[in-house]
Amino acid sequence: MSKRPLRTFLIPAALLSGLLAASTTSAAAADKVIKIGGLLPMSGPGSYFGAQDKQGVELAIEQLNKTGVNGYKFEVQYEDSACSPLPATQAAQRLIEQFKPDVVIGEECSDATLAIMPVMAPAKIPLLNAGSSAIKITEPGNPWTFRIMPNEVMQGVDIANNAYKRLNARTAVLLHENTNAGIGNAQVFADTFTKDGGKILADIGFGRDVNDFTSIATRVAGLGKVDVIPTYTLEGQGLKITQALAQAGVVKGGGGQAIQLGTIWLPFGFEQKAGKAALGYIRIVQFDPTDKRDIVRNFVQAFKAKYNQDPTHINAHAYDQIMLIADVVRRGAKDAQSIRDGLAATKDFSGVTGSVEFDKTNQNVKMDTVHYMETNPDLSWTALKWN
Amino acid sequence: MLTVILQQGINGIVVGSLYVLVALGLTLIYGVLVQINFAHADIVTLGAFVAYFVTHLLSGNYLAGIAVALIVGGALGWLLNAAIFAPLRDRGNELLPLIATIGVSIMLQNAMLVTLGPIPYAFDTPYSNHVIRFGGIFFTVQNLLIIVVSTITIGLLYAFMKFTFIGKALRAVSQDRETAGLMGINPNHVIMLTFIIASALAGMSGAMLGPVLVLTPFAGTSVIVKAFAIVIIGGFGNVEGTIIAGLIVGLIESYTTQFLDPGLIDIVVFALLLLTLAVRPTGLIAERREENV
Amino acid sequence: MSSPATAGSPVSATASTILSSRRFWLVAAAIAIGVLPMIFSDSYWRTNLIVCAVNVLLAIGLDFVLGYAGQLNLGQSAFSGIGAYASTLLITRLGVPFWIAFACGVLLAGLAGMVLSIFAVRLRGHYLAIASLGFAVITYQVLLNWISLTQGPLGIYGIAPPPPLAIPGLPTIAFSNLPNLFYLTGGFALLTYILLDQLVRSPIGETLTAIREDEVSAASLGVNCQKWKVFAFAVSSAVAGAGGCFYASFVGTLVPDAFFVTESFSILAMVIVGGMGTLIGPVLGAILLTVLPELLRGVGDLRLIVYGASVTLVVLFMPGGIVQAVRLITAHLRRRFAGMPADIKP
Repeated sequence: MSKRPLRTFLIPAALLSGLLAASTTSAAAADKVIKIGGLLPMSGPGSYFGAQDKQGVELAIEQLNKTGVNGYKFEVQYEDSACSPLPATQAAQRLIEQFKPDVVIGEECSDATLAIMPVMAPAKIPLLNAGSSAIKITEPGNPWTFRIMPNEVMQGVDIANNAYKRLNARTAVLLHENTNAGIGNAQVFADTFTKDGGKILADIGFGRDVNDFTSIATRVAGLGKVDVIPTYTLEGQGLKITQALAQAGVVKGGGGQAIQLGTIWLPFGFEQKAGKAALGYIRIVQFDPTDKRDIVRNFVQAFKAKYNQDPTHINAHAYDQIMLIADVVRRGAKDAQSIRDGLAATKDFSGVTGSVEFDKTNQNVKMDTVHYMETNPDLSWTALKWN
Repeated sequence: MLTVILQQGINGIVVGSLYVLVALGLTLIYGVLVQINFAHADIVTLGAFVAYFVTHLLSGNYLAGIAVALIVGGALGWLLNAAIFAPLRDRGNELLPLIATIGVSIMLQNAMLVTLGPIPYAFDTPYSNHVIRFGGIFFTVQNLLIIVVSTITIGLLYAFMKFTFIGKALRAVSQDRETAGLMGINPNHVIMLTFIIASALAGMSGAMLGPVLVLTPFAGTSVIVKAFAIVIIGGFGNVEGTIIAGLIVGLIESYTTQFLDPGLIDIVVFALLLLTLAVRPTGLIAERREENV
Repeated sequence: MSSPATAGSPVSATASTILSSRRFWLVAAAIAIGVLPMIFSDSYWRTNLIVCAVNVLLAIGLDFVLGYAGQLNLGQSAFSGIGAYASTLLITRLGVPFWIAFACGVLLAGLAGMVLSIFAVRLRGHYLAIASLGFAVITYQVLLNWISLTQGPLGIYGIAPPPPLAIPGLPTIAFSNLPNLFYLTGGFALLTYILLDQLVRSPIGETLTAIREDEVSAASLGVNCQKWKVFAFAVSSAVAGAGGCFYASFVGTLVPDAFFVTESFSILAMVIVGGMGTLIGPVLGAILLTVLPELLRGVGDLRLIVYGASVTLVVLFMPGGIVQAVRLITAHLRRRFAGMPADIKP
C-alpha cells in the first residue's frame, strides 16, 4: 500500500471542500438563512422520486424567498442517497459535514430512511419525511424524525375497512413486492380485513426483477370469486400486473369484477399508460388534484406555470415539506433545535396534501391526507370523498 | 383447475420461447468461439429500446421495429467481435475476453441508464392488448406473435446450420477450428458471422421482449441470468438442447408461480443448474462432447 | 563517476534498494493507515476510508483465487453476504460475542467456498464462472426469501459496531468512533495482505501458479490440482466473509441487496484494473475504484460508465492493470536515473 494514490486525491478533495465552504459562507453572510438538506434518490431505480421531489422543493423555495419568512431566506443542498442504506448513510454524513443543515428532508425509500435516522439523531438535526411508509420509522418514537405521510398502518387499516364496508368486499388476493413496504402494507391489510370478517384467498409476493405477470394473473383467475386485489408495487411492475389481470379477465378493465386497490406508489399518469385495464382501480393518493381548496388550486396553477406539467403527489409532498418548515420558522424557529420543537408542536397546518398534526411519536395523524380516487372509463379520476 | 394448468402451460411456453431466443445467441457464440459474451443481455435491452423508439416515436409499425432491432443487434455484434474478441483471440488467456465483456456490459447498461433514465417505458404494441379467448384459455396476439416468430426463427436457423454451406462451416469451426482452417474455411470470417447472427437474434428477441418486460435499462439483465442457466442445462453449443431447456425453464416459471411462490423461481432454476453442473456438465440434453479436463 | 552502462550514482542505488524492499512498503502502509484518519477529519471521508479497507480485503481475496490460482470466482458477493449475515445473526439472535461471531462468519464463508469448489472442481474456466454466478444468485435469493431467518428485504437494523477492546495497561478502544474502526479494518486488511503475501511466496504459491498456467502439466507432475484449487477457493471466500462481517458492523444496516451479484463484478473490476496476479494490484484497484466514484459524485450515473470503461480498456490495452502501468513507468524512470539515455533498451 503506497502513499502515491493518496496524494493524487488529497488535492482535489481539499479543493472541493474549500470551494464548498466558500460558497456556503458567502450565502450566509448575505441574509439570515435556514439551511435545508435534501437527501433524495437521484440515481438508481428511485431516481424519478428524487427528480420530482426537487421540482416541488424548488417551487416552494422560489415562492418563499420572494419575501422571506421572518427575515429568513431558505437555501437547499441536495445529496444523492440512491434509495439504499449505504449510499444514504454516506450522503447523510457528507451533507452534515459539508453543509451543516438546520433541517433535512428525506428519504423516499423506507430502507434508506431507516439507515439515515441514526445519523441525524446524534447530530441533532430534525429529519422530515414524506415518502416512506414503514411503521418502524416513527413507531419506536424518535424525537428527531417526523413524518407527514400517513404510515402503512393508517393507510392499510383505512383501506381494508373501506373495502369491507363501502365496497362490500368479502374476498381479497394480495399482490405485493417483496420489500419492507410491500410486505408491511400487505400484512396490515390482511390483518384488518380478516378481523372485519373478510377472507384472504392468496398472498402473492414477488421480487423486483419479476417481469411476466401472466402466470400470477392466471393463478389469481383460478381462485374463484375475488372481490378486491390490493396491489403494492411500483409503477413498472404495477403496469404489467394491471394489464395481465385484465387479460386474464379478472378485473373490471378486462370484463371481470375484481377491483384493484392501491396506495400512493403509483404516479399520476399511470392510467394513461395502463389503458382501459385500469378501469375501476381505486387507490389512495396523497394528493387530490381535484381538491377545491384554494391552496391546492394555487399550487397546481403555479406548478403548471413553472414546469408545464401537472403536479404528482411526490411534487406535492416535497412542496408541503418546505412549506411546513417555513411555517415553523414563521412561528419563531431559527435553528435545528427550535425547528425540531416547532415541528413537534404543529397543529392545524394546512398543506396541499392535507393537514398536519403530529402525535407524540411525530407521526402525522390527520386522515384527510388519505384521499381515495377511482379510475373512470375515460381514465380520469373521481374523488370518492371517503375521508 | 384443468383450465388453470393448461393456461399456465401456455404461459410457460410463451415465456420459454423468449428465453430460447435470447439463449440461442449465447449458445451459438459459445459453440463457435468458446467464449461467453456478458454483454449479450445489453444487446437484448438495446434491441427492446430501439424497437420502442421506432414503433412509438417514428410511428413506424411494430414489425418494422423488430427488423430495425435485428439490424442494430447484428451491427453491435460485429463491433464487439472486431473490437474485443478478435484482438484478444490470440492472447491465450480465456478469461480476459469474458472480463472485457463484463466491462462492456457495465458501460452499455449505464450509458442507457444515463440517456434513457430508470423510469419504465410503457411499450405497447397493437398486439399486446388484443386478447384471444376460447374455452377458459386466453392469450394475447403478442404472445402468439412471439411463438410464431420464435418457431420460424429457430426453424430457419436450424435449416441454415444443417443445409447451407456457411452453416456447415460454422459447425465445422465449432468442432475443430484448426482442421476447419485446413479445409479452406476462414475461421475468423465464420466467427464474425456467428457474432453478427447471434447478436441480431439478441436484438430481435429484445424487440419482442420489450412489450412483455418491464422496460428499463436493466431489462436484459433480468433475463440473461436465466438464459445462461438455460444454455448450460441444455449444453453449451447445443441448439436442440437450448430449445428444450428454454421451454422447460419457462414451464418451471409458470408452474412454480402457480403452486409455490414467484420468489422461488430463481432458486428452482438455479438448483437445476447446479444439479446439471454436478451430474452432467455438458448439459442434460447434450449430445456434443466437451473437453472439460 | 561510473560508466553509463552500469548502475547509476550511489544515491539512486540506495534509493532503489529501499524502494524495492518489501519491508519498507509494509511499514509505509502501516504508517499510512495510522495517519490517514488524521488527514481526513470529516466523517464522510473517514467512512470512505473504511469502505476502502473492506474493498481491499474483498479484492485481495478474489485475486488470490483468480490471479494466482486462475479460477474465475464470481461468487464473492455471496461469500461476503454469508459472512455478514452469519455473524450478525449470531450476535443479534444468540448474543454471541462479536469476535466469536466474526470467526464463525469467516469460517462459514470459507466452508461455503470449499463446498462450491469441490462441487465445481471438475469444471473449467467458463463453467466455473457460471457455476459461481449461479451460486451467487441462489445465495442472494435465499437471503431474500428466507424471511424468518434473515428478515429478507425487511432488513436488520441497528447493528452495533465491534465492542470496545480493553487491553490491560491501555485505555479502552471504542469502535463506535470512525478512526478506530478504520484502524481495525485497515489493520486487518494489512494483516491479511501479509498473510496472503507469505502464502504466495511460499511453495504453495508456486503450486497455484503452476495450476493456473497449465493444469494438465501440473497434474502430470503429481500435483493434486483439485486439493489446491479447493484450498485457494476456501481462503478467498473466507477473506470475503471477513469483509462481509466488517461491512455489517460498520454500516449498521443489513439488506440482501447489498450482496446482489453485481457486487461480484465490482470486486472483479477492482482486481483487473489494479492488476490481476499481483497482490498490490487489487489494493490499488480497490482504493481507486472506491474513491473515484465518490469524487465523481456530481456526475451521477456517469461514474458507472467510467467503471465499465476502465475494465474494458484495461483488459484490452493493459491487462496487467495499474501495476503493469507503474512497472512500465518505473522501468522508464530507472533507465533515466541510471544515467542511460531513455531510448537505449537493455
